[in-house]
Amino acid sequence: MIDPDRLDGYPPTGGHATGPKELSLILGVAQPPLHRATRGAILGGVCAGMAVRLGVRERTVRLLFVLGTLFYGAGPLLYVAVWLFLTRAGETASIADRLSQKRRAMLVTVWSAIIVLAILLATRSLAWQGTGGFVWSVVVSGIGLMFVWRGASSDERAHIEAILDASPVVGGAKARGARALVLRVIPGIVLVVVALIILSRVSGVWGAVVPALVGAAVLSGGLLILLAPWWLENVRDLTKERRARVRMEERTALIAHVHDSVLQTLTLIERNAGSEADVVRLARSQERELRGWLFDPDALNASHRASETLASMLATIQADVERDYNTPVELVTVGDCPVNDDVLALVGATREACVNAAKWSGAANVSVYAEVEPSSLSVFVRDTGRGFDPDAVAPDRQGIKVSIRDRVAQHGGSVTIRTGTDSGTEVALVMARSAK
Amino acid sequence: MGQPRVFLLDDHELIRSGIRSELAGQVDLVGEADEVDAGAQMILERSPDVVLLDVHMPDGGGLEVLRRVHHVDPSVNFLALSVSDAAEDVIAIVRAGARGYVTKNISGADLIDAVYRVAAGDAVFSPRLAGFVLDAFAETDPALAALSSDPELDQLTPRERQVLRLIARGYAYKDIATELAISVKTVESHVSSVLRKLQLSNRHQLTHWAADRRLS
Repeated sequence: MIDPDRLDGYPPTGGHATGPKELSLILGVAQPPLHRATRGAILGGVCAGMAVRLGVRERTVRLLFVLGTLFYGAGPLLYVAVWLFLTRAGETASIADRLSQKRRAMLVTVWSAIIVLAILLATRSLAWQGTGGFVWSVVVSGIGLMFVWRGASSDERAHIEAILDASPVVGGAKARGARALVLRVIPGIVLVVVALIILSRVSGVWGAVVPALVGAAVLSGGLLILLAPWWLENVRDLTKERRARVRMEERTALIAHVHDSVLQTLTLIERNAGSEADVVRLARSQERELRGWLFDPDALNASHRASETLASMLATIQADVERDYNTPVELVTVGDCPVNDDVLALVGATREACVNAAKWSGAANVSVYAEVEPSSLSVFVRDTGRGFDPDAVAPDRQGIKVSIRDRVAQHGGSVTIRTGTDSGTEVALVMARSAK
Repeated sequence: MGQPRVFLLDDHELIRSGIRSELAGQVDLVGEADEVDAGAQMILERSPDVVLLDVHMPDGGGLEVLRRVHHVDPSVNFLALSVSDAAEDVIAIVRAGARGYVTKNISGADLIDAVYRVAAGDAVFSPRLAGFVLDAFAETDPALAALSSDPELDQLTPRERQVLRLIARGYAYKDIATELAISVKTVESHVSSVLRKLQLSNRHQLTHWAADRRLS
């Protein structure tokens, strides 16, 4: 695709195309083809395109179109017509061409146009004295715009949507701040006031129907303009945010689980590669656990909840780590509480911290201290081993990030890791207790 | 002070020989026994500085030995040794007069350290004992605390709580001193003060808590 606006020799669209050099180039070398411009376009690029072709300032062309509006609204009409029938720069077919090939879109648009016209005729809005020609021009232009929208290429549609988003009344979803608010509220209020005036002038029975309908329509339009952007924005943002959060949480839980169970078991199998019995035992217990988790995760959690407390789950961790890594775990718990989602997350992170300490620190034993206070849960996992450099952990080693930090953070807790090369490591997990 | 004179009282020969080899050359081992009656008698005769006392033995266990010896010769310091994880056993033996409690999986160096500490009249708190004490002295609401007959004895100070928490988290005394920016001596005095409260407090939670677990 060639973008004529960008070919050397054509005057740029910036509005200073009338210098003698550029003019001679245009006249002497080639006439630029007539296209709707993509660069410098405000709406359909009609004025910008014509300015290129005629070698005049865009501003001049635009002024002519605006002045044309005074002649029975000819300006907008002409503009929309050119928009429909002139090919956009870089495209091969005009909107009219494209529409004529899309029968369905064409039919829908024609029927919509007929219905709009019928309604307008029926309510005799078009017969308002003195403004007849102008109103017709606006109506026909509006219908033309419906065709433009239907037939526009996806590129141009994106462009139109951007215009709508940026425009003060219709946009608003993206525009924030005081200025956007004022631009939105004022037309809305004007429409509401106009509607109230119309309604207040209603008199008689049959004669009242049409103005009442028009008034009601204008009123709804005003309210819609006032309120729709907020509503749309809220609905859109909320849904998007909720979806993203749910996805994120599920992902974190999944990664944490796979890491805790599967990766840890694989590491154990690596270490016990020499002993066939151990490998088989590990593989079998992992298989069982994974099956349970994959096919009935809720039952697994529910059974945890029914019988276990924080202290009993920590005791299980102690036993598991002592068995799997042959490292004594000194477990001290003060207070106890039943298991809920927060506790499960905390226990999961504790297990990970314990396993890390047993596996990497080289310390003779690991200390775990858990305290349940009325307002918070805290767990400290400490070893006096060799410590580590948190920045030097390979990015694919996700234990600390996923299984500890993210997991606890998701339940509103905080994680502090203190480590030094000769002072050992302490992982502190603190979580507020929820009221539920 | 020379080597402390240590007496070993445990009904398991295997444990005794293990401890003996850990302590060899580091302390003056003045005798050992494997049952309550003979042990209590020998302790009174020899008056050691420290008795390493097994909590669980037939005929009343370590608690019975403490009852027989403590009134007669208060200069003997007891360090309880146990495989037990049960809070009731541990609290009972400390309230009966033991100056410390360690589990039997303690390392040799730590055990020697504990023996010297107890011989010097200090208290020895293992992480587990610290946890038990924090549990027993759980903070109460002020209204309940006002009913206490002796508030000084019945509550831990915030500093004592901090020290106990750090012990429970596996910190050695010198680590605690660094962490709280105080001297090791101060840490020791906090721990001794906690021990005193644990032994003397009539704090109703403590008695209640103990009664719940069938203690006197």
